[in-house]
Amino acid sequence: MIDWNLAVRIFSFGLGAVFSSLAILIAAIYAFGRVLKSIEKKAD
Amino acid sequence: MLDMVLTTGVVHLTLGNLIMWLIAFFFIYLAITKNYEPLLLVPIGFGILVVNLPLTFLMQEGQGLLWKFYHYGLEWEVIPPLIFLGLGAMTDFGPMIANPKTLILGAGAQFGVYVAFFGALILGFQIPEACSIGIIGGADGPTTIYTTVHLAPHLLGATAVAAYSYMSLVPIIQPPIMRLLTTDKERKIKMRQLRPVSKKEKILFPLVTVLVICLIVPASAPLMAMFMLGNLFKECGVVKRLADTAANELMNIVTILLGISVGATMSAEAFLKPQVIFVFIMGLVAFAFSTAAGILLAKFMNLFFKEKINPLIGSAGVSAVPMAARVSQIMGAKYDPKNFLLMHAMGPNVAGVIGTVVAAGVFLALGG
Repeated sequence: MIDWNLAVRIFSFGLGAVFSSLAILIAAIYAFGRVLKSIEKKAD
Repeated sequence: MLDMVLTTGVVHLTLGNLIMWLIAFFFIYLAITKNYEPLLLVPIGFGILVVNLPLTFLMQEGQGLLWKFYHYGLEWEVIPPLIFLGLGAMTDFGPMIANPKTLILGAGAQFGVYVAFFGALILGFQIPEACSIGIIGGADGPTTIYTTVHLAPHLLGATAVAAYSYMSLVPIIQPPIMRLLTTDKERKIKMRQLRPVSKKEKILFPLVTVLVICLIVPASAPLMAMFMLGNLFKECGVVKRLADTAANELMNIVTILLGISVGATMSAEAFLKPQVIFVFIMGLVAFAFSTAAGILLAKFMNLFFKEKINPLIGSAGVSAVPMAARVSQIMGAKYDPKNFLLMHAMGPNVAGVIGTVVAAGVFLALGG
């Protein structure tokens, strides 16, 4: 007997985790890019 | 005399063994003559051949040589993370850091994983088995193996071979889907040249990524941590010996052990089942849907961004590094020889690896 509730939870949490983690990663890349730029500017 | 004959393997041969020999020869033939994933298919083919020799007991629990490789390498979760260490040391995340929005394409291309997951459930597989079959759509061999060993070890041979077979068939599977879902005008979209990425950004990337991903999906840590460690070795520039070892010697050693261990799980009794055919069908479905989802997501993103994305790079989100990115480049160049998509496609391509590891982490956390 398949637990369809669990299957749907795996799907929704899984796809949500994939998109949210990569979206956070995008934000982090932009953020550390800016921080590095401003540090380099200050150093100049 | 009869006793002596009975100690040979010849009299114990079964039809199943002979069929598996043919499969082994076929894999070795594909690897040698067609160059399909030879680094994996040669040891897998050889593993299949020797494990189907009667009375060799190579997979006998606690005794057989190949059982030891399988047990300590795969069941103890050693080999797939080490493969990821090597992959990290070989991967350049520069194109992805230069254009971070392509990361989303790597996420979109995981859609096929869930289509195959539900498809497998409908076909009667249990949830852990469906997770192992679904992850084939991520087009990532070590992740597929890692997930299957945890959740459905009896399907290991089928899922691993399906993943590697479809990865080698990317140039055949993807182009018709790419043509079907894109217009001539879209295929000719030229993307702006990527900015240069500084060394500091490249060093920070693995550190930030391991924090973000492992905090959100802790179960992905063994693969993600090793992936990012390998990349840190490569980018930091002070441990060149370690980076070289991870990317070359260590990678080669674990590839041998991985290939022969996977092949060794494919005894006639374990492999010749109708289930295996379903695994291959669902694997292909997963691959096709992942390709389509990556392309469609790129088209969807074009509705919102001023700078258009060539949808042909969306298909590269299925991992299969760097084959899928090469397919995007070849397809793009076919419609405009001056269009260079390779570096743009490398972004979703490596993002796809991260996306697949996250998907696998959720399967491991909830599907076991």
